[in-house]
Amino acid sequence: MSLVHINILIAFAVSLTGLLMHRSHLMSALLCLEGMMLSLFILATLTILSTHFTLANMMPIILLVFAACEAAIGLALLVMVSNTYGTDYVQNLNLLQC
Amino acid sequence: MNLFTSSTLLTLLMLITPVMVSSTDFYKNNKYQHYVKNMTLLAFITSLVPMTMFIHTNQEMLISNWHWTTIHTLKLTLSFKMDYFSLMFMPVALFITWSIMEFSMWYMHSDPHINQFFKYLLIFLITMLILVTANNLFQLFIGWEGVGIMSFLLISWWFGRTDANTAALQAILYNRIGDIGFLLSMAWFLHNTNTWNLQQIFMLSQNPPTLPLLGLTLAAAGKSAQFGLHPWLPSAMEGPTPVSALLHSSTMVVAGIFLLIRFHPLTENNKLIQTMMLSLGALTTLFTAICALTQNDIKKIIAFSTSSQLGLMMTTLGLNQPHLTFLHICTHAFFKAMLFLCSGSIIHNLNNEQDIRKMGGLYKILPFTTTALIIGCFALTGMPFLTGFYSKDLIIETATSSYTNAWALLLTLTATSMTAIYSTRIIFFTLLEQPRFPPLMNINETDPMLINPIKRLLIGSIFAGFILSNSMPPMNTPLMTMPLHLKLTALTVTTLGFVLAFEINTYSKNLKYPYSSDSIKFSTLLGYFPTIMHRLSPHLVLTMSQKLATSLLDLTWMETALPKTTALIQLKASTLTSNQKGLIKLYFLSFLITMTLSMLLFNYPE
Repeated sequence: MSLVHINILIAFAVSLTGLLMHRSHLMSALLCLEGMMLSLFILATLTILSTHFTLANMMPIILLVFAACEAAIGLALLVMVSNTYGTDYVQNLNLLQC
Repeated sequence: MNLFTSSTLLTLLMLITPVMVSSTDFYKNNKYQHYVKNMTLLAFITSLVPMTMFIHTNQEMLISNWHWTTIHTLKLTLSFKMDYFSLMFMPVALFITWSIMEFSMWYMHSDPHINQFFKYLLIFLITMLILVTANNLFQLFIGWEGVGIMSFLLISWWFGRTDANTAALQAILYNRIGDIGFLLSMAWFLHNTNTWNLQQIFMLSQNPPTLPLLGLTLAAAGKSAQFGLHPWLPSAMEGPTPVSALLHSSTMVVAGIFLLIRFHPLTENNKLIQTMMLSLGALTTLFTAICALTQNDIKKIIAFSTSSQLGLMMTTLGLNQPHLTFLHICTHAFFKAMLFLCSGSIIHNLNNEQDIRKMGGLYKILPFTTTALIIGCFALTGMPFLTGFYSKDLIIETATSSYTNAWALLLTLTATSMTAIYSTRIIFFTLLEQPRFPPLMNINETDPMLINPIKRLLIGSIFAGFILSNSMPPMNTPLMTMPLHLKLTALTVTTLGFVLAFEINTYSKNLKYPYSSDSIKFSTLLGYFPTIMHRLSPHLVLTMSQKLATSLLDLTWMETALPKTTALIQLKASTLTSNQKGLIKLYFLSFLITMTLSMLLFNYPE
């Protein structure tokens, strides 16, 4: 595994940790999600370009499209939570408890 | 012989003419009433011709006019049966209708729709004559339904009154229940004897099973107000007095009994039906006599008296004596119609007062009506040698000397004595004692349109029994020997009733009336029969139908069974299986730790 790949993988791991261990804001989770998507995109592009795997040239672009949609939905949910509670604290999301 | 056919058909046709005239201008003026009355008079005179010819030659006739239709093997024609029963009944019915029409010209004088009243009475008479002269069951059914409809229209003559509408509806419903039996018999006869003609039915079924006769008995019970289907007759007194006199005393209510008389060749072979008719008639006559004892409305007492006499007729049919029953029908028609006319005279003269507790002392004021009322009551109770004696005494004699049910006989005798009791009640409360009505009453009975009908029916009440029973050909060998105590039974119980009633009536002269125990409520509330049957059973049926339709079908099967149950199960399952508390950070952290741990463990196995 070359150094570049390890670098990007560490970036992915850091974003994942940030997603799963955020403190109080939902926004930080969404940002880390975007970071994960971005690092995945860079990793995929580098691998495909260095192995000349032309058939998979479309894959990173499609991944980016879906990441954009997902970011839009995430932001919509954030706006709804913010409209209901005023802030986007995660500890407010406990309506489904029983 | 030529005159027989033509005069019979002329009688029937003459009566249709005033009905057809009713679409012209003639209907609107005052002469129409006289026209209808005179037509009925002429029809009566014309019908005397076939009657006297029959008495002279004892030849019956069957007129079969017009072939209507043939459906496969069933041939329906317009046919008239002129035998003893129809030929004797037609003049009697026409005579009584003539008298009642003349009376109603006085009684309904101030009614704006009096022409329509006469038209209805005439249509009733026509349908009754169709019933009486019918030779096949279809024509009889036409007449049967026709008298039912006219009864409905005439009872609800004053339709602004709720009680009148209720009574008319009650009459229709009870008659309909009887019609079920009639249709059952018609279907049975069609199925088994392939015809509705009476001659073929009598030829083909000498020993019929009980079913068609049961249907006919049910039809008679519905039309003639036997026990179980009787409440419509006292309620039918909501109609005007001429209606009560014509329909519900002389003509319509005997239609059921007449039907059973027509079928006497079949009933004389079936012992079960005879016993059933005997018991039903005995029960009816006693029950309605008990109810008549404590009524306060004069028309209701006479209505219950009619019902009691109808029970007596049914009992006589149960003793296998159809000709005696027919004699009782004819004689009963005379004095019962006269009793109703006298009560109409009293009611109108006292300014529409029908409660006998508010009448009294009319003995000196209305001498003619008093005479007629007293003679009518005596004829009703079977005073020797008045009209009622010839039929009623013969019935009691036949009952006591035939091999029959002792219980039915006992009931009949008790009812006979009660007849005397309630007749005395009528006479005492309306005619004797001091007046109990307000003093300023305009009482007169000088109008000839009131006096002449009552006079004619009075002569009929005295002599008709003698004349009719002498013109009756003997059908059985008369009983030649009878013990003296059996011969005097009817007279004894009647006299007993009279004495008892006079004794009790003197109690009412005391100022403080000693109220008896609660068992009098049985009689005043008509044996609790209307209370139970008219309230309880509809309530039960409607509650049950509400439970079935709304609760069972709509709410349970369509709503709760699938949709709401599914929703409920999902809800309960989700609350059971998920125990989320909304701790998102904890869930994420545990996910991270699991992932790291698994990656470490699977990459570095040693």
